[in-house]
Amino acid sequence: MPPFFPTSEVNATLSQILPEAEITTSTDFEMNASEVLVATTFTKVDEALISKMPNLKFVQIASTGYDNVDTDSLRKRNIKLANIPTANKESVAEHVITMALAQLKNLLYFHNEIVNGNWPFLTNSSELMGKTFGIIGMGAIGKRLAERLLYFGTNTIYYDPARITDEEEENLGVSYAPMDELLRKSDIISLHVPLTKETDRFMGEKEFGLMKDGSIFINTARGEVVNEAALINAIKSKGIRACIDVYANEPPDPTGELFKVPNVLFSPHVAGVTVESQQRFITDTISNVLKYVQGLDPSYQVL
Amino acid sequence: MKGYGIFNRTVKDLGLRRIFGNPGSTEIPMLRGTSDYVLTLHDSISVGMADGYSQYSGRPSLVNLHTLPGVANSMAFIHTARMNRAPVIITSGQQDSRHAFYEPLLWHDLKSLVGSAVKYSYEVKNPEDIERALKRAYAISLSPPSGPVFLSFPMEVMDQEGEYMGLDYSTPNLQILNSGEVERISELIGRAKNPAFVAGSELDQYGGIRELEELASHLGVPVFSEPLSSRATFNSSSDNFAGELPPASTAINMALLQYDLIVNFGGEFTLYPYLPSPLLPGKKIVSVGMSPSYKHGDCVFSNPKLFLNALLLKANGKWSFRKQEDQGNAGLIAREKKVMGVNYVLQRARKHFSGYTIVDEAISSSLLVRKNMGYSQKSYFTARSGQLGWGLPAAAGISMLRDKVLEIVGDGSLMYTIQTLWTISKYNLPVKILVLNNEGYTILKSFSSSFYPGVENSEFLSFSYNIVDVAKSLGIESRVADPELKEMDWLAQGSEAKLLVANVPKTVPRLFI
Ligand SMILES: Cc1ncc(C[n+]2csc(CCOP(=O)(O)OP(=O)(O)O)c2C)c(N)n1
Repeated sequence: MPPFFPTSEVNATLSQILPEAEITTSTDFEMNASEVLVATTFTKVDEALISKMPNLKFVQIASTGYDNVDTDSLRKRNIKLANIPTANKESVAEHVITMALAQLKNLLYFHNEIVNGNWPFLTNSSELMGKTFGIIGMGAIGKRLAERLLYFGTNTIYYDPARITDEEEENLGVSYAPMDELLRKSDIISLHVPLTKETDRFMGEKEFGLMKDGSIFINTARGEVVNEAALINAIKSKGIRACIDVYANEPPDPTGELFKVPNVLFSPHVAGVTVESQQRFITDTISNVLKYVQGLDPSYQVL
Repeated sequence: MKGYGIFNRTVKDLGLRRIFGNPGSTEIPMLRGTSDYVLTLHDSISVGMADGYSQYSGRPSLVNLHTLPGVANSMAFIHTARMNRAPVIITSGQQDSRHAFYEPLLWHDLKSLVGSAVKYSYEVKNPEDIERALKRAYAISLSPPSGPVFLSFPMEVMDQEGEYMGLDYSTPNLQILNSGEVERISELIGRAKNPAFVAGSELDQYGGIRELEELASHLGVPVFSEPLSSRATFNSSSDNFAGELPPASTAINMALLQYDLIVNFGGEFTLYPYLPSPLLPGKKIVSVGMSPSYKHGDCVFSNPKLFLNALLLKANGKWSFRKQEDQGNAGLIAREKKVMGVNYVLQRARKHFSGYTIVDEAISSSLLVRKNMGYSQKSYFTARSGQLGWGLPAAAGISMLRDKVLEIVGDGSLMYTIQTLWTISKYNLPVKILVLNNEGYTILKSFSSSFYPGVENSEFLSFSYNIVDVAKSLGIESRVADPELKEMDWLAQGSEAKLLVANVPKTVPRLFI
């Protein structure tokens, strides 16, 4: 635990929620009799830990990703697993819009010019209003992004293998487009797909090839869904402007070619991380554990 | 004098001018000579009207129901009156007791039917009982906790000869100050690290809102409203108002996390849904009021207003609570305007209906009703029981006492007692009705998606009907609001009853965990 972590405050809060619960700051205990385990993505929930918790029935991961969990070990023991997949949708949606606007308004360029003592007179900045915004993946985050874009006046189209209902489309102000059409039509494209066998490097030469010259490509999903060489190629040959929050290896090799091509905006896998989203993770984690304790099915169960 | 004469005379002497009712054959004998009868086209509506009337006036009201069917039809409303602490005197006719043995048509043991929903029940046996039972019922209905009482009148007693005695009767003295406890409680407050106050419905009923406001401001202590109160608890625009406690243990615990002493003035911790946290573990809780529930340790029986006045002279300490400055919500309203969102509708209603008494049965929007409309003394009422159909009758009852009443109701709730519109029209009651139409039972959808995901999409949670046509057919002018809400103006104009439907979004808000 970092020294700034307010352990005693957290304990005081916990005593008002479930007086029997306790906080453990390390996993090198001999044995633990808990039935419920709450952990973040930073704690390895593996065979070694689970075997020390013979009464364990439910694991709640207080984040979206749960790659830290050995799901086979849980499955073997019939232990339930849940994550919190929706708490960061607001922050991701805002991050995507921030990145798109930063590109459209040439913020990086202006900033660097001024810092270097120049005063640029001309700009080819453009507006988000009226642009065609393509969302690939219409889950919780994609929907929230569409909702926010409504007020920017974009023409929003989306692709998802599972089409949403007509009513939802109407309410979100979006229309469905097959993948190729979306790639061809969009001025800005943002990815919101999970990493699966189907999406592994699914943004490749052909896909980037279909995109408009000079269009904006935003990835806050997972690094592995993009073929990086194809992206670099598209940046060079078609002037694609990219916004990258996630990388196949994190942290990435700073000498990589991606960091040398122009018009790319980077952030360090923080699109979903805000003070507010962390608060929501906590609230949702508590709700879910309370549901389990009162005998109901927890939400967002993955096992 | 015959039994019915004694009945009429006693009722008049008790100042119970009006009878709210729906009659049947067994009541005809007792209703001879009745002049001020308010007819409702469903039995239960009488009780709802009387409930609103009594809560607003603080005085008992009189209801007459048709023996078994009328009382049975009204049971949920009688229970609601109990939860609302409304002093309603419910009377009913009863089969002629000379053939009760044969269990004739309409007969039932009515006392066992009303059971624990009333504070007192009695079936009169002879003409002498009529006066004394009514006077006793009157007094009991007012003694804390005030609430409904029930009297059954067998038909034949109404034609038996008796005498009106003019018996003495008393109403309970509610001006009771428990002065011995003032010192102790003020010391408790003085010693607390971080005290919080909870304001309850008794402050609206017996007074004390202004006094609590003064005390809280003097000490710098936050005032929370009890969860799910039946009426205003405090002045929501006060700088010391810390908002409303949510009705679930974990959420209450979180709201009161930083406070070590909780002094509850005339409120209750009403809970729903169940959450596994124990309620306020390790906190010192003191309840002061005319009917503390004794569910939480330390209780002081006292008129809250008098107690607060006494505390004001004694209590010392300095804390620094002040509610956060209102940041305004123009952006939210502008966004919601595009979709006729509930906040947009209510903000507009607030402009047109300031100074009105709000009767709230907006269910999934109730929290927003209180946030947007605010409340203070006698300006807000809702059912504490969770029963639907109460709002419209209660609003009608209150509108007999004041001409500024706005009922805000869900499309689901409206339909339980829609016949009230006929009574409103018949007696020219000045009720304004705003229907938040989301075409279904939104709160049940929200509940489902929190606890039993998937059920929220069930067909049995959605429906629609032509509200305007239904209202018109019952004699009420009625319109659907256009996106600019110009009709809100129309609704507010004139004193006649009108109904406005706002077609609000069908999106399901997250109201539970
Ligand atoms: C007499 C009665 N019947 C059924 C219920 C169950 N119930 C609770 S809330 C609710 C839905 C209320 O719908 P509406 O008034 O339209 O408000 P909304 O939730 O849509 O805002 C129902 C049916 C109840 N509380 N009382």
